Amino acid sequence: MAVRRIELMLCTGTGCVAGGAFRVKEALENELKKQGLDKEISVIITGCNGFCGQGPLLVVQPDEIFYGFLNPEDIPVLVQEHFLKGRPVEKLMFTPPEKKEPIPLLSEIPFFQKQLLIVLRNKGIIDPEKIDEYIARDGYTALEKVLTSMTPDEVIEEITHSGLRGRGGAGFSTGTKWKICRSEQKRPKYIICNCDEGDPGAYMDRSVFESDPHTAIEGMIIGAYAIGVSSGYIYVRTEYPLAIKRMELAIFQARNYGLLGTNILDSGFSFDLEIREGSGAFVCGEETSLIHSIEGKGPEPRQRPPFPVQSGIWDYPTVINNVETWANVPVIINRGAGWFSKIGTETSKGTKIFSLVGKINNTGLIEVPMGITLREVVYDIGGGIPGDKEFKAVQTGGPSGGCIPVSMIDVPIDYESLTNAGSMMGSGGMIVMDEETCMVDVAKFFIQFTNDESCGKCTTCRDGSEALLEVLENIANGEGKEGDLEFLEEVGIAVKDASMCGLGTTLPNPVLSTLKYFRDEYDAHINEGRCSALVCKNLIKYYILPEKCTGCRLCLKNCPPEAIKGELKHIHIIDQSKCTKCGTCLDVCPPKISAIIKVTGKETENITGTEDPYPVKRKKGEKNET
Amino acid sequence: MMDKVGAVAVLGGGISGMQAALDLAESGLKVYLVDNKPSIGGVMAQLDKTFPTNDCAMCTMAPRLVEIGRHKDIEIITLSDIEKIKGEAGNFNIILNKKPTYLDEEKCTGCGTCIANCPTRNLVQPLEKTKVELEPQFREKVLEIIKINKDREGPLMSVLQQINSTFNYLPENALKYVSQELGYPLSHILMIATFYSSFSLVPRGKHIINICMGTACYVKGGERLMDRFSEVLEIKENETTPDMLFTLKTVRCIGCCGLAPAAMIGDNVYGKLSTKDIPGIIEKYKTMG
Repeated sequence: MAVRRIELMLCTGTGCVAGGAFRVKEALENELKKQGLDKEISVIITGCNGFCGQGPLLVVQPDEIFYGFLNPEDIPVLVQEHFLKGRPVEKLMFTPPEKKEPIPLLSEIPFFQKQLLIVLRNKGIIDPEKIDEYIARDGYTALEKVLTSMTPDEVIEEITHSGLRGRGGAGFSTGTKWKICRSEQKRPKYIICNCDEGDPGAYMDRSVFESDPHTAIEGMIIGAYAIGVSSGYIYVRTEYPLAIKRMELAIFQARNYGLLGTNILDSGFSFDLEIREGSGAFVCGEETSLIHSIEGKGPEPRQRPPFPVQSGIWDYPTVINNVETWANVPVIINRGAGWFSKIGTETSKGTKIFSLVGKINNTGLIEVPMGITLREVVYDIGGGIPGDKEFKAVQTGGPSGGCIPVSMIDVPIDYESLTNAGSMMGSGGMIVMDEETCMVDVAKFFIQFTNDESCGKCTTCRDGSEALLEVLENIANGEGKEGDLEFLEEVGIAVKDASMCGLGTTLPNPVLSTLKYFRDEYDAHINEGRCSALVCKNLIKYYILPEKCTGCRLCLKNCPPEAIKGELKHIHIIDQSKCTKCGTCLDVCPPKISAIIKVTGKETENITGTEDPYPVKRKKGEKNET
Repeated sequence: MMDKVGAVAVLGGGISGMQAALDLAESGLKVYLVDNKPSIGGVMAQLDKTFPTNDCAMCTMAPRLVEIGRHKDIEIITLSDIEKIKGEAGNFNIILNKKPTYLDEEKCTGCGTCIANCPTRNLVQPLEKTKVELEPQFREKVLEIIKINKDREGPLMSVLQQINSTFNYLPENALKYVSQELGYPLSHILMIATFYSSFSLVPRGKHIINICMGTACYVKGGERLMDRFSEVLEIKENETTPDMLFTLKTVRCIGCCGLAPAAMIGDNVYGKLSTKDIPGIIEKYKTMG
């Protein structure tokens, strides 16, 4: 293998690809060739780096210099300055919003500093499409250790001791699950890797598949050996084409290397994997429903017990674990249960991957030790809220979770603390909300989602979500009435108590938690017709400030329903009877002028938009008299 | 989509059975509503209020009772149990055992003479089963897809997924053909086909535009992207443009939350979209054809 002076680790996760990573790659290769550097410097495509908000991005190794927001046009400058002349390009480096000085080194960027990488240990370092690179990073050594020196019972013992709990959200002890399945008499047995990551706002499973598919495969082979299984399934959402492609390739390569198939590493143990695709149903992430889906039955959940470990796919004992759970296994085997159990809190061990998204400066995928506080995640890693807005809440656990208010920002993140706060760990979505997010709207959004995705088997879930949605829509439309909130609580609790699967028992969480922490917002919607976040369309009006409008006609030209009246150098007026509240005018009004505002509550009373446009009287910089 | 032939038996005359019978009859099928009690109505007739709205149970039920009694295509058969079902889903005979009514139970010996001489026979005439032939444009591909998957365990999902991605929808005859070849009842296949959001029973455009409505995209204005796409293409959600180029849909999170708001056209992801970008994107796909 040729020795390279510099290696450019170009991220090609879904996020960066959408941002044009492959165009950047092409530009890089062309420019390197042009400068005659293509023998010394190579471009390596890696999986998701995690800092998706900065994509397309690239890390220069071994110097560890981080470049973000790359355009093909920037490449000639980058190559000539940095790689030819040795002067790193400051303008392409990461600069925190409140500071002026860029941070050149990856390890010094706060986003990466507080992270602890176990599952994502290889992200951005290896090419996910090459098994050799995984092996070079100690890949498949855990498998070798297990097959040559450990009995299945010892493996289960090790996993149990490590304290690893299911990363899909419920947090059941992985070791215990394996043990129960191992002791079942019925043969054959199966294992399944659950990558039906339906939670909106979560994408860690996809990222593991895209950046390091072999770690999940290795974890599954070790699990299969421990439980006594010879075939397994990987269930992936059809919405993740790149993840499916990389996983297929990884399985193919592992087979070629004798790591999958019959007689793995000459140990006499055989195991093989098959990929099955989902087809866009949220409920299929629930284990019994997922099993039905693979079997080709109606994908509705069923009553448990019997649990899948007793009677799962084709009625045989089956262990289902989440991608992240499987991916933890090789590291635990290699470094020992003792090492793993030192990380985290009393009851929650190890790390957890979160997708930190929403109204936050540094969006991306993070892996943090359990027990870290929300404050550290939001402010240290996430870099705070953009644009001086006020931080309001963090939503965790997807549609099954709840909103944790700013007052509880010092809560440590572990399974129990989050549940006590009225939310849950879930699969790891962490959506940050600021003052411009309306909690009623958020609750409505989640109930809309669960109402849509409810399979309809249990009355409480099917009809209860419908009833909740109706009342929430009324409140958001300004038609809420006395007693609505009590009704929401009553139905919410009934749905929680009486539904069968995880979807139903958790679906009221977004409503109940927002009612608990943000009741005043609900009250303002009902009693004052006020949506303080200026989100609920029926409760707001768009208004052009006469003292700021310069009469430039930009908003008038762009207004889809032609609701804006005015002419050049006249104060424009929005005809409220025609306005559809699409917000286009607000987008197009130049930031220097920002004459358009949203108002709510009492302030909307006198705004009708029936008056006629009148000339701008002031000179530049002066206020209008009227 | 199916031809309206044959008759349907609804077993159990509770509220759901009654509603099912009404819906079926309204869609033009003959319905036999069977219950083993002397009257229809079931448990709901015994309830005062129902979840979650605390509506009065009788007020919900009474109009349906009246409607069923009046409906020309619904025949109520009470006091009956099922003795035997012969055939398969979609094509079968049910033999009912109707208990004696208007009889002096003290005197009846259950000799069966009255049953043998009863002019009414609750029998459904079985349909002739015809062999499904595939249209030439589907034939080759569907045969191939079935051949690849036939010997897998649980082949149905994979077969449907591949048919759906090949033709962009599930043609009716292809489903009938799959039913015939793989031995799944058509009713089951339709249940699966309508459950998942990525399957469609009607033809869809060449480019499927999926607007992400995951939480991150939603809080960053995913709905406004939807409105703008809808405006530019002049179609609503779940509709297809007349030139069969575009179908507009929403999707629950494509896992590009760092790029919110995002949309996916075919397999391509477009991140950090603004309403201003949309006409340009559409134009690009239009020139591609």
